[in-house]
Amino acid sequence: MAALEKIPDKKETVIDAHNISKVYNADTVPVHAVNNVHLHLLKGEFTALVGPSGSGKTTLLNLIGGLDKPDSGQIYINGVDITRLSSGRLIDFRLQNIGFVFQSFNLIPVLTARENVEFIMLLQGKGSSVRDRRVKQLFGQIQMENKLDSRPAQLSGGQQQRVAVARALASKPKFVLADEPTANLDSQSASNLLDIMLKLNREEGMTFLFSTHDQRVIDRARRVIRLVDGRIVSDTAAVSTAHTQ
Amino acid sequence: MILLMAWRNIWRNKLRSLVIVLSIALGLFAGIAVLGLYKGMMKSRVRDVIDAEQGHLQIHEPGFKKDEEPKFILSDGQMLFNTINKLPQVKAASPRSVTNGMLATASGSAGVRINGIIPELEYRTSQLKAKITDGQPFDANRRNQVMIGKKLALKMKLKTGSKLVLTFTDSTGNLVSGAFRVAAIYQSNNTPLDERNVYVRIADLDNLLNIPGAFHEIAVLLKNDEEVVSVQTLLQRRFPGYQIENWREISPETDLLIKTTNQYSYIIMVIIMFALAFGIVNTMLMAILERTREIGMMVALGTTRIRVFFLILTETIFITVAGAPAGILAGWIVVGYFNKSGLNIAGMGKEMMSSFGFGTMVYPEFPGDKLPGILLIVIGTAIISSLFPAIKALRLRPAAALMR
Repeated sequence: MAALEKIPDKKETVIDAHNISKVYNADTVPVHAVNNVHLHLLKGEFTALVGPSGSGKTTLLNLIGGLDKPDSGQIYINGVDITRLSSGRLIDFRLQNIGFVFQSFNLIPVLTARENVEFIMLLQGKGSSVRDRRVKQLFGQIQMENKLDSRPAQLSGGQQQRVAVARALASKPKFVLADEPTANLDSQSASNLLDIMLKLNREEGMTFLFSTHDQRVIDRARRVIRLVDGRIVSDTAAVSTAHTQ
Repeated sequence: MILLMAWRNIWRNKLRSLVIVLSIALGLFAGIAVLGLYKGMMKSRVRDVIDAEQGHLQIHEPGFKKDEEPKFILSDGQMLFNTINKLPQVKAASPRSVTNGMLATASGSAGVRINGIIPELEYRTSQLKAKITDGQPFDANRRNQVMIGKKLALKMKLKTGSKLVLTFTDSTGNLVSGAFRVAAIYQSNNTPLDERNVYVRIADLDNLLNIPGAFHEIAVLLKNDEEVVSVQTLLQRRFPGYQIENWREISPETDLLIKTTNQYSYIIMVIIMFALAFGIVNTMLMAILERTREIGMMVALGTTRIRVFFLILTETIFITVAGAPAGILAGWIVVGYFNKSGLNIAGMGKEMMSSFGFGTMVYPEFPGDKLPGILLIVIGTAIISSLFPAIKALRLRPAAALMR
């Protein structure tokens, strides 16, 4: 009897979080940064996490990204409960599965743009030919082929964030978490960055989950999750001109 | 990539890194200067022991060294001396009659070791003639002349031409005395030896000891220091009935001094580096506190803690070792300069130096043999200094670090 082949799920689950909570200052004045949140994200989604300051966006992203541990609940990434992983295994899990883009770029200042992107692949133990190919491809996608050897200090904020996106994608992660990626950018740079992210989402099916305050970014998201006081108060598919095109 | 990052990281704050690099260089320079001075002093001391005091080898009858009794003359001494003198490795050899006795003058007395010598041979073996500061070497036409050390001369108020009486027991145990006149006063780098040793002609002493033509000791000076053990072994094989000792065995205190000084040298380096370690720890801690967010980001992206630890360790080693070549070069230049011109340390107290057997003119020598040990201490310092900052970096929680 022929073995049953797994039918590829067009809507493969990437993130599945159940009842996750995070409380700061539990012993003094408890602050429920994330309160009993359920979140389900499918492959290829382009999701904005919105809400006022202190609503728990960054904490939720940190929990999903395995940068912090929830006080309760489970977070499954591609079927793996990351809340049960040891600190060492979690680091490796992040390296192989999650791409990060931070608000203030956070490139390694002593490395060139190319080296920043290569760094992740070196951690993964990839050979130089693989790295070279990927670097060429990514810098083509972010349209910065002429800035390969520039140090972060020699790049504009928008360029640095584009390199950060390339770095996040270098490891071929399952999804990318971006914490306020456009917060420090002017409107033109923010728009360019979003174009690149959307292009990657469309062409490579890369899943993006990003927090933002920026209405222009929210307008272009396919799904918008609103957080208030650590709770999800709405989860809607936004009407986006970018997607309807 | 970690090595590249570590190297570039240390130059992020050039002034701060240069200060620590300079401190390491200065510390190493100071250490090398001290070690070079020690090495020069020790070498000079060893040269004095070999060239001006004991010779490379000494040969005695087995019972002689215990109480230095005059009856223990070297049997077949002349044959032994002739054989030794013909060895190609031998530069000079000097037979000596030796006894312990009392030196008396009108003003007092002192215990002395009386060395009966053949002047021409002794001058070549122990440079006695070169040490004369007052008077003339032994006159071949005069009998019962004595050469005394400056310290003893001062103590006994003796001058050249002064008379003194030496009293001791002869080979048969009878008390004998002889009147001698001071021909010369000598001074070496070793005051205690100057105070204790007097020199007379071997014929004069043998006559009083009643051992005509015999002697107790042969001091041997070799052409090459490295041949001591081989010549000693050769002689011991050919003349198994004699006690043949090398300078380390004759002067164990010098050997001990060298070994102790070697240990002290490393202790001095460790103390210098220990003091510098605080500066290194401080610098690295500042560097890490400034980069808290960056380190948190690296861990967030998937850099293992062991890699972060290795990065901090490498940075610390780089910043520490970067100062080493400059320190070593400066040490080499300065020590090399004084090796040629000499360093007069009379200011430290000529008397004090001399009482320990050291001269006041030191020719420091670059401690190349200790360089691997020094570098190990430097690298050890770097590793130890990196531990605290590295552990601090390892304790960073990426989420908290990224918030800063």
